[in-house]
Amino acid sequence: MSNAAIALRDISFTWPGQHTPTLALEHFDVQAREQVFVSGPSGSGKSTLLALIGGINTAQSGSVAILGQPLDTLAAAKRDRFRVDHIGFIFQQFNLIPYLSILDNVLLPCRFSAYRRERALAQGADLLAAAHALLRSLDLAPALWTRAVTQLSIGQQQRVAAARALIGRPEIVVADEPTSALDSDRQQGFLDLIQHECEQTGASLVFVSHDQRLAQRFDRRIALNEINRCAHAEENA
Amino acid sequence: MSFLFPLAAKSAWNRRYTLGLMLLAIALSSAMLLGIERVRHEVRDGFTQSVSGTDLVVGARTSPVQLMLYAIFRIGGATNNMGWDSALKLAKNPAVAWTIPLSLGDSHRGFPVLATNFDYFRHFHYGDGQALQMAEGREFADVFETVIGAEVAQRLHYRVGDHIVLSHGMGSMHLTDHADKPFVITGILARTGTPVDRTVHIGLDAMEAIHLDWEGGAPMPGLTIKAAQVKKFNLTPKTITAVLVGLKNRAAVFGVQRDIGDDSSEPLMAVLPGVALDELWQVVGVGENALLVVSGMVVIVGLAGLVSAILASLGERRRELAVLRSVGARPFDIFLLLALEGLAVMLAGVILGVILLTLALLALGPFLSAQFGVTLHPALPAAGELTLLLWTILAGFVASLLPGLRAYRLSLADGLTPRL
Amino acid sequence: MKSITWISGIIGAGLLVGYSLRLAATPAMPVTAPPAAVSADNGQYKVGDHLQQNPDLVATPYKPSVNSDASYKEIAWESLIPKDWDAMKPFKGLKLDKLQDDDPRAEEALWKAKQYWKNAPIDPSMDGKAIRIPGFVVSLEREGEALKEFLLVPYFGACIHVPPPPANQIIHVHSAKAVKDIRTMDAVWINGVLKVDHSDTLMGSAGYSMTSIKVEPYLDKSTQ
Repeated sequence: MSNAAIALRDISFTWPGQHTPTLALEHFDVQAREQVFVSGPSGSGKSTLLALIGGINTAQSGSVAILGQPLDTLAAAKRDRFRVDHIGFIFQQFNLIPYLSILDNVLLPCRFSAYRRERALAQGADLLAAAHALLRSLDLAPALWTRAVTQLSIGQQQRVAAARALIGRPEIVVADEPTSALDSDRQQGFLDLIQHECEQTGASLVFVSHDQRLAQRFDRRIALNEINRCAHAEENA
Repeated sequence: MSFLFPLAAKSAWNRRYTLGLMLLAIALSSAMLLGIERVRHEVRDGFTQSVSGTDLVVGARTSPVQLMLYAIFRIGGATNNMGWDSALKLAKNPAVAWTIPLSLGDSHRGFPVLATNFDYFRHFHYGDGQALQMAEGREFADVFETVIGAEVAQRLHYRVGDHIVLSHGMGSMHLTDHADKPFVITGILARTGTPVDRTVHIGLDAMEAIHLDWEGGAPMPGLTIKAAQVKKFNLTPKTITAVLVGLKNRAAVFGVQRDIGDDSSEPLMAVLPGVALDELWQVVGVGENALLVVSGMVVIVGLAGLVSAILASLGERRRELAVLRSVGARPFDIFLLLALEGLAVMLAGVILGVILLTLALLALGPFLSAQFGVTLHPALPAAGELTLLLWTILAGFVASLLPGLRAYRLSLADGLTPRL
Repeated sequence: MKSITWISGIIGAGLLVGYSLRLAATPAMPVTAPPAAVSADNGQYKVGDHLQQNPDLVATPYKPSVNSDASYKEIAWESLIPKDWDAMKPFKGLKLDKLQDDDPRAEEALWKAKQYWKNAPIDPSMDGKAIRIPGFVVSLEREGEALKEFLLVPYFGACIHVPPPPANQIIHVHSAKAVKDIRTMDAVWINGVLKVDHSDTLMGSAGYSMTSIKVEPYLDKSTQ
C-alpha cells in the first residue's frame, strides 16, 4: 500500500448538477514502476477517473492518494502543483500549444514545476539538452525540432507530447487514448516507445485505450466498466 | 508564474491578424481622444499667449469675440471699420498710456496684411509680457516698406531686400493684386508663436497709398497713380479696423470701456481681451466636450471589439487550456493568461495611439501654424492627458477581466477533458 | 448570470472612460448647457448679485483679528470706501419730497450723484492690510490656461450689463501662482495684503491692488 503510486479507496463521485454518481469503485491501485492498461468505453467513468487522479476534482467520499499523499488534504492550488510535479499527461490529440515552439512545448512542465525542472537538469547540461535527449530517444530527428507545431504529423505531435509528459522524470505517466488518432501501423511503434521510456525512468504508466490489440502488451489489464459500479448500472439500464 | 507574460504575448501574436484589427481600433480611438485633448489645450494656450498687456481692443460695435478673432488673430469674418478721428481721440484720453491702430483687409499669398504704425513695435507684447524683436533688418520707415513675420519668411523663403506684391482682400479665391506698387522687405520679426508670425506688416500710410486709385474694392479703370507719386497725396487713413489700448492703470478699464461705449460721436465698443476669450472658450467648450464624449465612446467600442474577439476565440482554445491545466496551470493562471492578453493588446494599442498622434502632429503642425498661428508641440503627454490615458488603460484592464473570468469558469468545468 | 457579468464589465469599463472624460473636460461646464454669454447668467448668479458675507462685517470697520484663516481677516466691500465719504452728498440741500415730478433738478442731481460715485476716492488707511474678500473675477492675463492677473469686483455682470463699479470697489489682483479653472465672472475668495496704488493721473489715487497668495472658489453654502 505504501508503495502504491496511485491508490483510490471507496470512491463515490458525482459531477455537480448530476443526481447519480458517475464513478463508484472500491479500490484502484497502481504500483510504482507498474504499467497498467485501462479499458473503458465512453460512459465508463474514464474522464472522472482521470480527473480524480489528476486532482482536478475531489470525490465526495473515499480517498485518493498519489505517491502516498492524500489529495483531499491539499488545497486546489497545491493539487495543481502536485499534479505537474509527479504526473505527466498525454491526450488523444491537440496535445500541443500551437503558438509555442516544439521545445517550449516539451519544457512546459518545467516552467510550472521546480521539482520537474531540477530533475530535468539532472538529465542534461541544461533544460534544452534534456529536451533534446528525450526527443531523440522518442525517434524525433533534430531537423524536426525547429518546425512549427502545425507542420508536424499526428504521430510526430504525439511523440512530442510524450516527451513533454516524460521531461523531468515524473513518477507517473497517464496516457488517455494516445494512439487512437494514429494510423494502425504506427500505434504499436508508439506504444513501444512509451513503455521503453517509462521503464527507463522508472515511472508508472496508466494507459487508457479501447484498442484491445494493444492490451496484449501489458501485464495488468483493468476494465473500468467492471470495477465501476455506476457504469454497470448504466449499461444495464 | 511570471512566464505567463511571454505566454500571453505569444498567444496574442499567434492571432495577430484578428487582434491586429482591434489593436488598430484602440490605437486610432486613443489617438483621437488624446488629440482632441492636446489640441484643445494648445489652441487655448496659443490664443491666450497671443496678446499680453493690452487692456482694451476698441472697434466698431460688433460681437466682442468676432472683433478679437479678427483684429488679434486675423481669422474669421471682417468687422466694420471705425473712424480715424475716434482713434486719435482715444490716444488723447488721459487714462490711456498707449494705443496701436490696426487695419486689415489685404493679404499676400494667403497671409494677412496688417497696416499699423511704429507704436506696434514699441508697445505690442505677447506671451509673458515679451516685446517684439527683429530677427533681421529694421522696421518700415518709407511708404512701400514692409516687415514680415517669421512664419511668412520661412514658408515663402523671403529675405530682407526681397520685393513682394500685396493682394486685395483675404481668402483663397483669385484676388486682384496691387501689382503696380510692390513692397520691399526691410525686416523680419523673430518667431513669437503667435499670429504675428504669419502677418505681413505695412504702414497705415502704405495701406492708403495702395488704395489711392481704387474705389469700392477694385481699381478704377483708366486712373493710375504711380508708386512714386503717392507721397503727393494725403496718406492719413480715414478708417481703421481696431485700436489696441494700454491704460496707465489697469483697474480703470471699466471706466474707459464705459466712456467709449457711451460716446455718441461713433458707435464703438471696447472689449477686454481676457473676458472675450473666456466667452469664446465657453462657447467652444460645449463642442469640445461633445467631441471628447464621442471619442470616449469610440474607445469603448474598440474595447468591446477586443473583448469580443478574445471571447470568441475561447471556444477553440479549450483543448489548449486543458493541456495547460495538465502541466500544472491553476484556474487562476488561466484567468491571468486571458486577462494579460487583453491588457497587452490594450497597452500596445494605447502606445501605438500616442505614436500615431505624435506623427500626426508632426505632419499637421506646420499647416496649423501657417493657417492659425497656433503651434502644436508633439511632446510627450502632459499631466491631464496622462490621466486620460491611464483611465483608458484601466478601462481596458477591467474589460480584459471578462474573457479571463470566462476562461476561468470554463477551465474549472472542463478540467483535463473538455467536452466539446 | 454570465451575461450579466459581461454586460456589467463593459458598462464598468464605459463608466471608467466616462469618468476620465469628466476629469478632462472643460471644468464647471455642464455638457448640455446652451452657449450663453459669459456675463448674462451662469446659472447661479444673476446680474447685480452680491456675494453673501457676514452682515456684521459691514457695520464694523476693519480690525485686525485673531480669527479666520491665519491672519487674513475677511472684510466687506464697503470697508474699501473711505469712512467719511457720503454717497448722498450731491443730494444735500435738495429736498426730494418737495420737488415736482419731472423737475429737472432731480435728474441733474442724480447725474451728479452718479459722477460723484464713479469718482469716489479710495481709503488710504487700507494700505498694507491683510484681507480676505470674496468677489467676481474679470480675467486680464493668463499664463497658458491658468489665470495670473485679474480684477475682482463686488457684483456679477460688472463689465457688460450694469454700470461698472467705482475705483474703490475694484481690486487689481496679481495671483502669486497662476490659478487654473477660473473664468470671468467666477466667484472666488482672495487672500492677500492690500496695497493702495498712487498714480499721477488726474484721477488722484488710482486704486487698490494686491498680490494674492491664495485664490479659491467661492462656494455658496445656501444653494448647496
